[in-house]
Amino acid sequence: MDFYFGLAQIIGVHTLIGLSAYIVLLTGQVSLAQAGFFAVGAYVAGMLTVLAGWAILPALAASAVLGAVVACAVGFPALRVKGLMLVIVTLAFGEGVRLFFFNFDYQVAKGGVKLGPLGSEGFRQIRYFPENGWTTMDVMLFIWVFVTLAMALLWWFDRSRYGAVLRAVGEDELAAQSVGLNLTAVKVSAMTIGGAIAGLGGGIYAHYTTHIEHASFGILLATFALAYPILGGLGSVFGTLLAAMFVQGFLVEGLRFLGDWRNLLFGALIVLAMNVRPKGFLDAPTLLGLKRLFGGKSGAA
Amino acid sequence: MLDFFQSLSDGVLFGSTYALIGIGFTLVFGVMHKLNLSYAAASVGGAYCGLLVLQVFAGAPPVVVFFCAFLAGGLLGWLVYLTCFHFIPISNPLATLMATVGMLLLIDEIIVHLTAGMPVGYPAMFDDVMLRMGEFTVRGDLLMVFAVSMLCMGGLLALLYKTRLGLATRAVSQQTVAALLCGIRVGQVNAMTFVITGLLGGIAGAMIGASVGTLSPLLTTPLTTKGLIVTVIGGLGSVPGAIIAGLLVGGFENVLQQYRGVTERDLYVMLLLFVFLVFRPGGLFAPKGGRD
Amino acid sequence: MKQIAVAVSLAFAAVGTTGALAQEKTIKIAGFGAKSGVVRSFGVNSEAAMLAAADQINKAGGIKLADGSKAKIKIDYYDDRCTAEEGISVARRMAGTDALVGVGPTCSNVAEPLFGILQKKVDDKSDSGMQFPIFSDVAIKGGLARISEWSFRNVPNEMTMYSSLFYWLKTQHPTLKTVFGGVEEDFAHSRATWYVVMKDRAIANGYTVAGESKWLLADTNFATQVREMKKANADIVAISAHPFSTCGVLKEMQRQGVKPKLLVGLTSTSSLETMQGCAKQAEGMMIPTSFAPVNKEATAAANATAKFKGSADLHSMAAWENMFILKQVMESENLSGNAKDLASDRRKVRDGLAKLKVTKGLLGDTKRTDDREADKPYLFVQAKSGNWVVLHNPL
Repeated sequence: MDFYFGLAQIIGVHTLIGLSAYIVLLTGQVSLAQAGFFAVGAYVAGMLTVLAGWAILPALAASAVLGAVVACAVGFPALRVKGLMLVIVTLAFGEGVRLFFFNFDYQVAKGGVKLGPLGSEGFRQIRYFPENGWTTMDVMLFIWVFVTLAMALLWWFDRSRYGAVLRAVGEDELAAQSVGLNLTAVKVSAMTIGGAIAGLGGGIYAHYTTHIEHASFGILLATFALAYPILGGLGSVFGTLLAAMFVQGFLVEGLRFLGDWRNLLFGALIVLAMNVRPKGFLDAPTLLGLKRLFGGKSGAA
Repeated sequence: MLDFFQSLSDGVLFGSTYALIGIGFTLVFGVMHKLNLSYAAASVGGAYCGLLVLQVFAGAPPVVVFFCAFLAGGLLGWLVYLTCFHFIPISNPLATLMATVGMLLLIDEIIVHLTAGMPVGYPAMFDDVMLRMGEFTVRGDLLMVFAVSMLCMGGLLALLYKTRLGLATRAVSQQTVAALLCGIRVGQVNAMTFVITGLLGGIAGAMIGASVGTLSPLLTTPLTTKGLIVTVIGGLGSVPGAIIAGLLVGGFENVLQQYRGVTERDLYVMLLLFVFLVFRPGGLFAPKGGRD
Repeated sequence: MKQIAVAVSLAFAAVGTTGALAQEKTIKIAGFGAKSGVVRSFGVNSEAAMLAAADQINKAGGIKLADGSKAKIKIDYYDDRCTAEEGISVARRMAGTDALVGVGPTCSNVAEPLFGILQKKVDDKSDSGMQFPIFSDVAIKGGLARISEWSFRNVPNEMTMYSSLFYWLKTQHPTLKTVFGGVEEDFAHSRATWYVVMKDRAIANGYTVAGESKWLLADTNFATQVREMKKANADIVAISAHPFSTCGVLKEMQRQGVKPKLLVGLTSTSSLETMQGCAKQAEGMMIPTSFAPVNKEATAAANATAKFKGSADLHSMAAWENMFILKQVMESENLSGNAKDLASDRRKVRDGLAKLKVTKGLLGDTKRTDDREADKPYLFVQAKSGNWVVLHNPL
């Protein structure tokens, strides 16, 4: 059973990083910087629990806040460019963060053992969960509390004026600007919320893997952060969740019985999914159909 | 001082491989306003395909290997077009972006499966030539790579500005709808763009293989990053810009590596990119405007 | 929507196929490592070695259990893609089956997080870490088994090997004085090996370090680094890097005409990979390794592995040895082999492994240390016309 709980942990954290890219994508911005915010969160939370002896909750809060601060600081200059320029700027930023941690040493002796980040050798023994007797199920439930909160927050945004504003900017910047929306404020606020969610996800990641190193936060992770909302569709937060389940649950773990074919199919199925459902799993017609199916109020969104 | 010029010349010459990759990114962007993230992987894939010749004719000269890489690259370019662009609506840039990521992973993994992930030696020309001027040296094989990339750029510019296909390509890149109204088959032009960039990519992959001496799937991610940076610094859509930016980035990173060490090298490349974005957001050769 | 429903149900169906009940008694041993990405060859070779060893053990009757019956070994091999998350996931999956012990992983960056989620000290009730013995064959970065009492390694001790290598070089070539180091800076293992092992051991044996240059795993241009190397003009060049960049550096050395009197390489480079990438340039490179087909037993093991389409090197042969060590442990610890005793059987395997003071290896006896590491016999090999040939056997 622990295996399923563990898998649910992974899906939960990947959903978080997917959601962080989702809210930025709503404003029409493609950001590859999410892995950078994730890395910041991971190192901050890890250092706080291991080196400063903090409890997990304040440490995660700190990583979310720091993720938000970094994202906000990056958002101002970076969001001056858009489209593909932004993709590459954010990619460069994410790589910059990775390279920072690649060069980052801060070790403190604790109980005769040196702990803390050590450049390319990484940061080991972030064992808050096992040391405090948390079972795999406890950790999973803990993670899913945050996933649920983040999803609820974004879901609520979608139903509020703020969500409409985000989507308005995403659909047509010029039109949005001409009705008096402050583009910079909207985009930077989305980036900041995304940074907080990514930082939180990173903080959790550091604790369930117990060891982090710069190489885990590379372009591949940044691309996957984007892949979840794109594969899932921008119509609903549930799309991101579905896509994280599809990638981590199905492509990675579910196809294991295929042996060597699993890795080949991984890329191929992503290509196929985008060809079959270019607007993602949960696109507008599907969402509408689902709403009818469950007898919800159509047109509420 | 000698150190400085030596690093600069080594870097600039090596930068021609970045330039070749940059041209591919910039051309697809210029024509379709889309990003093809699988380009570097397909280029390396083309270079691997060139090696198949050696399986059939063990003693084939390097030129034959390069030529096969060139052809295979074109074929791969067309396959990428078919799988990632043809069936996905043009209004959906995110889907094509993600599809090319899938393609990148697929190509990498196919290479890994066929070679067990091991590095493979690649034939080179003039690799035993070393031009010497006192202490200062220039690698013969890199000069060849440099010459090839100049030739590629010349050929490409001739193709774009002297042929009907080039005219159609430029028309599509400037005003797709108008081109459509003039009777240009936009789909065909798009496919041709991919074949042409693919051919270029095959050459680029082969040149990279030749200048490094070994091929490995490890090459694809750094090449993608560097290629994208080169594209932005050169100005999205500008072919000469990509060439110059490629050489610039190559020289810049090698000089910084000399003075600041390898661990900080790439950080400065990212900084260079930011400097460009602040002071010259359109890149070296900003396009004169158009769509987007 | 249908696609999603199918996909989701498929996923759960596929995820759910674990832990089938064994009809006749079998002992399951789970192997795991990288079978995708650039390190694929490691996983392929380790799997082949484990299958070959299991085949040999089974043909000889299998493993004797507490009730006197014999059980056959069954191997399941999992790909962890060399990533931390997948490695942890695979370990949880193995622990969820009736596997008694895991053999792997390939990458040190998987071993490190994985050992981190294991229980740190046995019988520590407050520690909820996983209780599943892992016996590593490949992940080689120094001191990893210290992380958990459930983690064991049968990998060469680089400290001892390089100490002995530099000592031997001193006796063979007393005129050589200086060493120049080349290090692949962004990979944990190669970096640690240069700074902590090679450099330290060279100095301890009376060499002067004339300088060091650094590069990254996926670098392609080594002109600057090799120029530094040329300037230092050291007698010995020691390269702590994996095959891809080792080959790049060696080729650049050839171009610039850098010919050190001796060339020393990283343990994991003494494999087929280097020979495929740059046999000509690697000529003469000396590497300490824990395997070479030097005796009848070692040759037989290599041939058996080749039948399962794997090549024998220091890594895969460690997996081979692990199988026989596990057999010995399982028989001396009186395993029950029944599904209901799974947890206690795993504990017995762990305790058995912890008790070992000496194990039999292909090259001779291996000493086990208190922190669950091995002190394996080793020898020095040298690249000669596309093959690794034995240069010297220091033991």
